[in-house]
Amino acid sequence: MNWKKVGCVAFLIFLFSHFLIFQTSCTSIECPFEHDVMTKYNLYKSNEKTDTLRDTLNVFSHRINRTDTLLLNSLCGKTTFRLNVGYANPEDTLFFKFSNTDYLAVDTVFVKKENYPHFESVDCNASYFHNITAIRSTHHAIDTIIITNPSVTYDPNTEHFKLYIKDRR
Amino acid sequence: MQADAQKLFKLEKDSIPLMRGFQVSFDLFGAGQMMLSDYGQYEAALRLNLHDQWFPIFELGYGKADHEEDVVTGIAYKTQAPYYRLGLDFNLLKKKHQSNRLFAGFRYAYTSYKVDMYHREFDEPIWKWKTSFGVKDEKCSQHWLELVVGIDAQVFGPFHLGWSVRYKQRLAHSDGQLGKTWYVPGFGIWDTSTFGGTFNAIIDI
Repeated sequence: MNWKKVGCVAFLIFLFSHFLIFQTSCTSIECPFEHDVMTKYNLYKSNEKTDTLRDTLNVFSHRINRTDTLLLNSLCGKTTFRLNVGYANPEDTLFFKFSNTDYLAVDTVFVKKENYPHFESVDCNASYFHNITAIRSTHHAIDTIIITNPSVTYDPNTEHFKLYIKDRR
Repeated sequence: MQADAQKLFKLEKDSIPLMRGFQVSFDLFGAGQMMLSDYGQYEAALRLNLHDQWFPIFELGYGKADHEEDVVTGIAYKTQAPYYRLGLDFNLLKKKHQSNRLFAGFRYAYTSYKVDMYHREFDEPIWKWKTSFGVKDEKCSQHWLELVVGIDAQVFGPFHLGWSVRYKQRLAHSDGQLGKTWYVPGFGIWDTSTFGGTFNAIIDI
């Protein structure tokens, strides 16, 4: 009996079985690190220079059962913010509440969009990408909102809207 | 150095005929994977032996994935399709006319497959709308290249055992409206590149 051959075959089978067990039992879950799909609003002055929030901004919306849900909590002194996007409804209705010690204004913003389910892996939770088709608002505090990039994905750095707030000074 | 490389790949001139027969092999690893996990493949290959130096090879397989509704994510995924590989191996051993081989080579591979994917109904996290999504028979395809290193050892008579390690690099792909697919028959779990292997039962003919 050629024991060298037997040993060689046994080693091959040993390698195979361990590789098979390793491959089938170990899975690497490759979900995107940044998996929030959010719209990014940057604030601008009328001369296109970056503006800063001088009032406190809260953004909320209504759930399907008509209760409030807070999307942005007491933001002040910032030049940018991000908001969640509804998965499947064709239009999000958002309430922008600007407040100060002697000032209160609430604007309603309507964001119309197309929604696309996005699949990463069976190990990653469901997400949706969106294509913004239109935006309109009331104008108590907000001067204008402009769409700069309609495609909303995982990318946290892309600006989607330019937000111009009325100058009260 | 160039002369050494040319010498390595040059067909040796001796009394051994060019056509030395062919081998039929079956991958045991893919079949084992099918038994132990949600996905795997059945694969067979036909390899020509040219002078114990060059081995043109054709691999034909059938890959399958059936991931039932995931407990955590609620996603079910199903696909099954054939895949094809065409390639060439080169015997790296100095003493080529023997029954054991160490080889390196490449494969060009292609598959066209359909995917069924479904996500059970769930409450959207913020607005609490009920939503679900899915696709059926979504057409997808992929081309890729493999670099292969492997061994082939004679056990007795015409029966060999061998294994190979492969680096797979995606060349082109189409994922339909899904954005991405999970399991690609013959390639494995979706990525731009990945490692894989085979463990083969081989018969010389």
